Amino acid sequence: MRAVGARVEKVDGIGHVTGQTTFVDDWRIPGMLWAKVLRSPHDHAAITKLDVAPALAVPGVRAVITHEDVPKNVLGHLEGLGVPADEPLLAESDVRWKGQPIAVVAADSEEAALAGVAAIGVSFEERPALLDVRLAFEADAPKAHHWGNWFPHFGGPDTPPDHRKIRKGDIDAAFEQADAIVQGVYRPNAIEQMPVEPQVCACVPESNGRLTIHSCTQGVYFTMGIVAGHLGVPLNRLKFIAGTVGGGFGGKVESWTEPVVALLALKTGKPVKLRFTREEEFLCTSTRAPWHIEIADAVTSDGWILGRKMLTLHDAGAYARFSPYGVTKHSFHIAGSYAIPNIHFDGYVVFTNRTPTSAMRGFGVTSVSWTIETQMSRIASVLGLDPYEVRLRNASRIGDTTPNWVTLHDPSSVPVIQAAAEAAGVELTADYRTMTRDPRSGDLLPEWLEGQLGDLDAKES
Amino acid sequence: MKLNVNGVEHALESGALTPLLHVLREELGVTSPKAGCQSGGCGACTVLVDGEPRRSCLTPLGAVDGAEVTTIEGIGDAHDLHPVQEAFHTLHAAQCGFCTPGMIVATVALLKRLPQPGRREIERALSGHICRCTGYVKIVEAVEAAAGGSR
Amino acid sequence: MAKQRGRGMAAIEYPTGMNQGGDPSQCWVKLKPDGRVDVLSGTVDLGQGAKTIQTQIVAEVLGVPTDWVTFDNSNTDTSPLCTGSFASRATFMGGNAARIAAERARERVLDIASRLLEVDAADLDIDEGEVFVKGATEKRVGVPDVAAAATWQFGELITGTGAYLKPYANVDPETGRTDRNPHAGISYGACVADVEVDDETGAVAVTKLIQVYDVGRAINPMFVEGQLQGGGIMGLSFGLLESSYPYYPSVEHRGSEFGSYLSASIEGLPEVETVLLENPDVDGPFGAKGVGEMASNGIGPAIVAAIHDAIGIWVTESPITPERVLRALDEKAGGGGEPRRDGKRYVFDESLSVNALATGISFEVNV
Repeated sequence: MRAVGARVEKVDGIGHVTGQTTFVDDWRIPGMLWAKVLRSPHDHAAITKLDVAPALAVPGVRAVITHEDVPKNVLGHLEGLGVPADEPLLAESDVRWKGQPIAVVAADSEEAALAGVAAIGVSFEERPALLDVRLAFEADAPKAHHWGNWFPHFGGPDTPPDHRKIRKGDIDAAFEQADAIVQGVYRPNAIEQMPVEPQVCACVPESNGRLTIHSCTQGVYFTMGIVAGHLGVPLNRLKFIAGTVGGGFGGKVESWTEPVVALLALKTGKPVKLRFTREEEFLCTSTRAPWHIEIADAVTSDGWILGRKMLTLHDAGAYARFSPYGVTKHSFHIAGSYAIPNIHFDGYVVFTNRTPTSAMRGFGVTSVSWTIETQMSRIASVLGLDPYEVRLRNASRIGDTTPNWVTLHDPSSVPVIQAAAEAAGVELTADYRTMTRDPRSGDLLPEWLEGQLGDLDAKES
Repeated sequence: MKLNVNGVEHALESGALTPLLHVLREELGVTSPKAGCQSGGCGACTVLVDGEPRRSCLTPLGAVDGAEVTTIEGIGDAHDLHPVQEAFHTLHAAQCGFCTPGMIVATVALLKRLPQPGRREIERALSGHICRCTGYVKIVEAVEAAAGGSR
Repeated sequence: MAKQRGRGMAAIEYPTGMNQGGDPSQCWVKLKPDGRVDVLSGTVDLGQGAKTIQTQIVAEVLGVPTDWVTFDNSNTDTSPLCTGSFASRATFMGGNAARIAAERARERVLDIASRLLEVDAADLDIDEGEVFVKGATEKRVGVPDVAAAATWQFGELITGTGAYLKPYANVDPETGRTDRNPHAGISYGACVADVEVDDETGAVAVTKLIQVYDVGRAINPMFVEGQLQGGGIMGLSFGLLESSYPYYPSVEHRGSEFGSYLSASIEGLPEVETVLLENPDVDGPFGAKGVGEMASNGIGPAIVAAIHDAIGIWVTESPITPERVLRALDEKAGGGGEPRRDGKRYVFDESLSVNALATGISFEVNV
């Protein structure tokens, strides 16, 4: 092999180091209008008045759109995965987070667009806001979402249950059998994806009726489908110019600018560009979720994990977006790199009045790693065991199963932990240094792990 | 007002408070300085004004009347890469490439001032430049390689 | 009062592709009349290097130099679908689509070459842009000549399409059991963090990171290192500095610009050691796995453990700010910070629990 495995330089790298790579903001489009967004100043409020006429009187303003201009305003981005539509492209009767978009103005310049936004007549009646997931379940908690304060569709659009569950083995028996139970609370906070290129989109209406959309999306056909859905047009009306993006980290899965500029381009008949300010990036776009996780591990005095009970509250913010997907992904990985025979997990997607959260690098699993690896360190500390060895003892081996009963054919937790110890100059005892990931037998197959073994010969359909 | 950009003289009509970034991108079509934050925080719009690195987003046109502005286009092109560009390319110091023009412009100014910077000087010179892709590891390596190559 | 050193580690795993599968990628490879290769793909390059990775894969499969291959993901009139560059799927799914498309184009190259050389296609191989007879390497024809013959002599377009799709897995709502393997591949990693904690100011400095990852197969080792280094520093930044809503230290503090939203900078960068293990994935293109996302997951908990090693406190909320470190030190000095013992239970962090703060939900451990 020559190409694969080689330290080939980027095929587009010369463009990067000479400043000639064309990002969305770099397309020169004659006659282009700029768009700016009217956003909610409140965490939670009813919209009692929305009058765009004054904006249209501002010099340079060409068009304003509100929810009334969107052919399909409430569109589910993950309906195919069982997440029903809940979020409007532009707010209708209420706003549920500070920064929620209400109207968008297109004008000859950014200044005129901002003046147009400022001229829109809008008033609100504030409502109590829910801002702590732990308080969402109280009887008198503010109501953050029309479905209630947590996502109710985990069996599908119309079916219970209202949270994601893992039930594997018998957690009560594990607690009973354990020599020790180690319990903790973990709260990895939200962070912003923070690519240096902000969200930016430009749309050019073509003479043949098509729309050319310059997009920084991370998933071109995904976003094209969303534009087609909001506008009610077939895919061949749209041409996306995309694929070269100034960093994403999950934030540019959000597909909001594209349908908005497309609607404004249709309404004005002119090219329109919308580029988020850094403040909008930080305050108004999806972030990673903050998570609240409680965990109790049943362990033996020599460090075997017999069982794990876990409660996860995922802060979805004001709308579902990808959060149900994230919690399901989270649930599959709550055992991490280890074989845990008894698991009891309840994971709630909790609605609050914060900015909706969504995809970010490590989606659903960053929170697991933070939680369960600190648990592993605590277990080692409480029991007086070596942190490498307690991990190697429990590490997944060929033939083990995950919390969702996937049989592992190729786990490499044992070799990576051994390699980390070596790189760190940590001397493992002989048993752990020579350990392999081979299927369990002997001392590595205690009775409590027998029931979790998978069938390595089963052919997947 | 007058501006010399990469060796070419321009006469400009814009107001004195117009940000240099806007003049470069929207009026002169020089798009290598990026509008990463437009508030001086990310460094992606960095250009050289009379040889000194400046945030073009915070630099009003009136403050640079008659100055020489160098963007990365004035430092090297695909046919004649500057050693700093070469090092960033071959050592994979540019991932998405959005912060890269600003990083390279600042590095060129650093090496001109201090041909063999220590780690601390490199960190100081680039500390106002945000890169979310690389973790800065390969950027430091590239700057050190470019400095080594210029010895 | 002094700077205390500590070390901690974490071991992690992460899947490739969307969580329940069902996320296709497609690719189209075609040859120009002179044997140069067009790759039409919908995979987005966010900086991770997808354009280059798929170029390398196609060049490898077709046995041509990488600079014969032109990758184009620029527009949807020519690019087929790729679900997206997320879920660590671009190299694995997009790369597999490119591999399959190139394999089909390769079959066409060999078929045309077999007619030119009058040798069975099964006896042919391609290397450095030339088709040759295995075992009789003097008998050969260049890929440019094959492409020319296809175009001008046989009236054909040498092309291949490829698609990769892991079928969608359903989840049982009562048990979480999936009806098929939803993961395209799982990668594993282990991280070690060395810290220096100032027990007077509470400041935590990370001095060294060791990151060991099973990457399956490094299609481009330089790019994998780039992902792991960038992810590692993002993980450090997540653990120690960054805070979006509900913000730190309070809801009122909305970091709305660089500077008020704190994140890692080039200053004070730790030494970063990256170790790649290659344990090829059975389904990955040339054995590759997807490690782009997981690179930021292991560092945070390794830092938590390192801080405990240094000064004996556990901070389980991120970001681990100096204030949180000092508060934990104060608690420890006052005799707190240890888990409450209740029979065989060791109960940490009780003040953060829903049991202490809320009604309507609780976390019960029945012993």
